Amino acid sequence: MAFSTTVSQRKYIKRKAPRGFLKRVFKRQKPHLRLETSSDLLVHLNCLLFVHRLAEESRMNAFENKYGIIKKEHVQAAAKVILKKSRG
Amino acid sequence: MAESYNRDSEPTTRTLLRRVLDTADTRTPRRRRSARVGAQKALLETPSSRRLSTPTKMNVRRGSHRARSIGRLAHVHTSGNLEEQTPRTLLKNIILTAPESSIMTPKSVVKPVPTPQVAQSSRQESSRGSLELQLPELEPPTTLALGLLAPGRRKQRLRLSVFQQEMDQGLPLSQEPRGNASASSLTSSLSLNFATPLQPQSVQRPGLARRPPIRRAVDVGAFLQDLRDTSLAPTDTVLEDTQPFSQPLVGHSPSVYHSLPFLSHTEAENAERAVSHRTQSSGSRLQNHNPGKPAQLLSGKAKKVDVLAVRFPNNSSAISGEDGVEPLQDGVGEEAEERMEESLSMSEVMGSTGTQGSVRTEKSKGHREMTEALEAKEPEGSSEDEDISGRTASPELASSTTESLQARRPQFLEPSPPPSTTVLSSEPLEPLSTRHPPRARTHGPRPRQDPHKTGLSHYVKLFSFYAKMPMEKKALEMVEKCLDKYFQHLCDDLEVFSAHAGRKTVRPEDLELLMRRQGLVNDQVSLHVLVERHLPLEYRNLLIPCAFSGNSVFPAQ
Repeated sequence: MAFSTTVSQRKYIKRKAPRGFLKRVFKRQKPHLRLETSSDLLVHLNCLLFVHRLAEESRMNAFENKYGIIKKEHVQAAAKVILKKSRG
Repeated sequence: MAESYNRDSEPTTRTLLRRVLDTADTRTPRRRRSARVGAQKALLETPSSRRLSTPTKMNVRRGSHRARSIGRLAHVHTSGNLEEQTPRTLLKNIILTAPESSIMTPKSVVKPVPTPQVAQSSRQESSRGSLELQLPELEPPTTLALGLLAPGRRKQRLRLSVFQQEMDQGLPLSQEPRGNASASSLTSSLSLNFATPLQPQSVQRPGLARRPPIRRAVDVGAFLQDLRDTSLAPTDTVLEDTQPFSQPLVGHSPSVYHSLPFLSHTEAENAERAVSHRTQSSGSRLQNHNPGKPAQLLSGKAKKVDVLAVRFPNNSSAISGEDGVEPLQDGVGEEAEERMEESLSMSEVMGSTGTQGSVRTEKSKGHREMTEALEAKEPEGSSEDEDISGRTASPELASSTTESLQARRPQFLEPSPPPSTTVLSSEPLEPLSTRHPPRARTHGPRPRQDPHKTGLSHYVKLFSFYAKMPMEKKALEMVEKCLDKYFQHLCDDLEVFSAHAGRKTVRPEDLELLMRRQGLVNDQVSLHVLVERHLPLEYRNLLIPCAFSGNSVFPAQ
């Protein structure tokens, strides 16, 4: 299923998609458009992959600078790259 | 008796049967005469002879009809042949003496033949137990044999007075075979054996036996403990995957309602235990704030909780307060103490019913909750403001508690442990009064941001999970901004794609195109693969068409 079915950290991640939240966001942005049911889940999948890429990039940035903690700068730099990539 | 010298000290099958025969002299089978001769012949025959059942029976009958008066003689005759006599033949003789009560059908006659062989095979066994064990197996065939032999078996070579009585008793119950089987054992045990036949049915078929359910006295203490534990269980899962203080109170309230009835039972004893625990762990905790008076502060707080518990029976979520008490024993550290203060303040705010009992049970729960909340706190940087801002997204209860926390913290640090409860009682009132104004403040902006932030927080948590590294709070805020931007881009792209397709609805094809353009989906990796990898099974079923029976595909294409 997912890359990690077991959680490395102590907290547990919800695997459910916040479908209501996604629909609300889309409606707020594009009120004249409609979102289908299945595409709702695909949007969630897209978000997952985006967040995943962002996290990987941030981690790599932190490692390169030999930081044990992900800092704001790492995230910022990573966001630039990833947002450009996922522009489509 | 002639057989007296035959009787051995060891109870072999043969000897036992002989004894039965001896004691059963009084009874004479009907067909003794005719059977006797045949019996003698049978006796003389090799035990393993597999003569036809009917001829043997005829012989037996003839033999039985005979020597009525010479039953003894026949007995002696047979006893003379007892050396060659086998348990099988002995049993046959016993069967002859059995009364005719059976209802058996003739076709079952064949069965007695193999059964004596079974008896013969067991002849070697010398234990009476083995003999008796065999007998139940022989019983059904013996009953059938009895049925057959009944009409002609009035003369009995064997005289078993007791045996006869028992047989009469066993007749209406149709327990004869067992009676016969048991008759082979010593007569003294006949009565006992007859008692057992009533049970062997269940022994033979243990599944049919009805046993009364084992009822144990309910351990009230353990029961209450379990109830509290189960009521608290949801809070763990809730806490584990959400922000601290956002939902634990919501989860706490139902558990508190559960624990309400237990107050009377456990409050007193738990309060004692809690106080003793606190005094024990006094040295380890609270060194940061009040190194001089750790024990006193602890005891004071314990008293506070007690007083609060007593004072506000109608409020909820005393558990948070108890969780606060718990870290006293953990010795986690500063954060734990903060948490304790917060939880204590929360308990005061909610005014829980002083479920001191739940204090004990929740110690372990609070452990995990505390540690998890702490862990969640650490990456975010445990700062009050951020906690409170995070709490703004949570329901009203939580926000009120956070405000009370704000007001509470300075109060907790300052007050010296009051020795008297009156001082303690005054303290809870103060935080209450200070609590209300802050609560009204944050009502305005909350509804606007909360749902959005709550939804985003889901992805933020996923980010921290994927990163597998500790993160700063500012970094997480940055992630939130990135997500906002990302959503904007996403909606724009989808609009463009759907418009390009001449539609006003965004469909999965648009999404696939988007992912293809993003580089996530290519010729090597298809959308279905990604769906299978990252989404749970329920969503996979909704997204990927699957063929079902009846020539149907779901979801329909």
